[in-house]
Amino acid sequence: MSALASAVALAASVAALVRSKLVALATAPQRFVVMIQRAIYDVRTGKRTAWDVTKSVLMSLFGLAMVLVLLFPLFWITTASLAEGSRLFNTSGIFPDPSTYNLGAYRWVIFESDFFFVDGDWGYPQLVLGGESGPVDFRWAGTETGPGAVFNSLYIVSVTLVAGFGMIVPAAYAFSRRQFVGRKRILYGYVLFTQIGAGLSIATLVALYSLFSTYGLTNNLFILGLFYAASAIPFNTWLLKTYMDNIPVSYEEAAMVDGASFLDTIREVILPLTKPGLAVVLIFVWLAGWNEFIIAQTLLRPENYPLSVELYNIATEGRFSTPWTRFAAFANLFALPVAIVYFAAQRSVEDGLSFGGMEG
Amino acid sequence: MASSQIGTDVSGLSRLRAALPFSNRDWGLLLVAPGVLLFSSFMLYPIFYLFYISLTDATFAGSVIGGGAELIGLGNYAQLLADSQFWTSMTTTWLFVAVSLVLKVFLAVGIALLLNHVRVAGKRYMRAAVIVPLGFPGIFTITVWRGMFSDARYGVFNTILGRYNEFMSSLSAPELLLFDVPIGFLSGRWEAFFAYVTTEVWLAYPFMVIIIVSALQDVPRSLHEAAMVDGAGALQRFRTVTLPAIKGPVLFASILTAATSFQQFLIPWVFNQGGPSRQNELIIVYGYREAITFNQFGLSAAILIVGIAFVGMFMYVAVRYGGLAEGVGDE
Repeated sequence: MSALASAVALAASVAALVRSKLVALATAPQRFVVMIQRAIYDVRTGKRTAWDVTKSVLMSLFGLAMVLVLLFPLFWITTASLAEGSRLFNTSGIFPDPSTYNLGAYRWVIFESDFFFVDGDWGYPQLVLGGESGPVDFRWAGTETGPGAVFNSLYIVSVTLVAGFGMIVPAAYAFSRRQFVGRKRILYGYVLFTQIGAGLSIATLVALYSLFSTYGLTNNLFILGLFYAASAIPFNTWLLKTYMDNIPVSYEEAAMVDGASFLDTIREVILPLTKPGLAVVLIFVWLAGWNEFIIAQTLLRPENYPLSVELYNIATEGRFSTPWTRFAAFANLFALPVAIVYFAAQRSVEDGLSFGGMEG
Repeated sequence: MASSQIGTDVSGLSRLRAALPFSNRDWGLLLVAPGVLLFSSFMLYPIFYLFYISLTDATFAGSVIGGGAELIGLGNYAQLLADSQFWTSMTTTWLFVAVSLVLKVFLAVGIALLLNHVRVAGKRYMRAAVIVPLGFPGIFTITVWRGMFSDARYGVFNTILGRYNEFMSSLSAPELLLFDVPIGFLSGRWEAFFAYVTTEVWLAYPFMVIIIVSALQDVPRSLHEAAMVDGAGALQRFRTVTLPAIKGPVLFASILTAATSFQQFLIPWVFNQGGPSRQNELIIVYGYREAITFNQFGLSAAILIVGIAFVGMFMYVAVRYGGLAEGVGDE
């Protein structure tokens, strides 16, 4: 199975996951009605007392109130993103007046900011045949300013994903199924580094900057992508290894008895059964390349800034006056695609995060 | 754990091995090596290099890169111990870790218990909603919190406190229960510290909730029912059934989130860059600032090495006593 085919298969399984979650969400009101009808029936027939039902209702309302309080910041910023043009902090209250809601901030992100194209000057890809740099070349046409931050982000993330998966999946297999010199020691080392992510990168920033400068690697998106892959390796290798540990070896045995080769067992047994684990690793590795901005800001020059750095720059544009509506719209477009996939895979993420010695 | 399964399944493994193209049993190392190499060159090597810088008198980026700095041994560390800013930073960092940890544990246990309770309808959706903060990038959520903690009279929290004041005055409550709005959340030392802690708790509780809920779900319902039959009240059931089940996981999650709190950089940096007047510089911010603002690269490196050493200690404790590496050793 080629790498491309497995990538497509993985994307398809993530899409299927998203779809099934959306269906479940759409049918939730119906199940809610059934639950209420059932409670009424139970009270009428004397199976439950009215007080018993009231207690349940109160507890549920309490839970709902708590969820609303906890999610208040996100609710607030989403309403803020719809209020381009009106002052946010004013006498009328916390939330902007719903009658002033508009999509102006999103229009700004798409057609004026550097999100998709620099200064929002949209272009389209064009193939050039027989150019100077090769028989088939590719360039942006119709834009005077060039592609924007999203392409830098996507480039970094692709490098991170390819390098990360290329190193994490085989290593997780080896840790789970093979014995070799230093296995225990390396695994211990990885576990030690699992929870040290962004903080460590910032801590070593001084050293990183001088090392990258010495080797002439600054302002290089490819190297930055590799760097993020490196930071994602310990945690994700460990996570995928625990996933593979839960696949009984007897499955592989059975396949081999049936005449499957070693590569067949990987393709037919290990990879399909590890799919949920692979989906979680996909999300985490993606996030490692997508969200980081301090290293990126230090090592890159402005024309190579990814979305995360642009977002940070909007947030700190004025010392005390973040342009909230634009910031919110930019941040929503930046974070939402990932967040949706994340919630669809929530069950697998939970399984993945409660990894390791949790049973003890 | 399944790795013990591998241990007992020797015949399966040996048959697998016999079918392999290599005769050497160590070929698995080849699969692991690229990752180890990449990780070492981008993560471990910089740490060693950072340690080297911490032994020099490098004062600007040029002298770090061009080799213009000289080795001065442990001078930077000595200077650090004499620097009152270092002790302010250390105290603030530990206080930040401790206070946010306690609040985190209580909040997370409360949420997990509520969202696992039989009486709560739709708890699976609530659980999905409650871990939302994990799905958004830190720079986004932290900036949003900065906006809510705005010093302005009509900032979100100041508005809420104003409403609260109006409400309490209408009840003719004593002056003592009222807030002196607007509160300068980002310009007072302890106000800013309070804002940091609130945000840190909000960022970290989802991870704890996930771990505690998965532990709670492993408690068989029959255990609760048996306790109820024996006449145990809610509090007693919590103490004898729930608490033993979640104690281990909570401890484990505490060590891990404490390690991340210790490295917290974004909250202080985005809020007010560790201010006012450097009083709230958590350790990483302190080190970062010494390098970026004051060009004290050697000193900065020493600070960060101290920080890394503490985090390493956290992780060592987690691995050693928290059972994090369970399943590494059993072959």
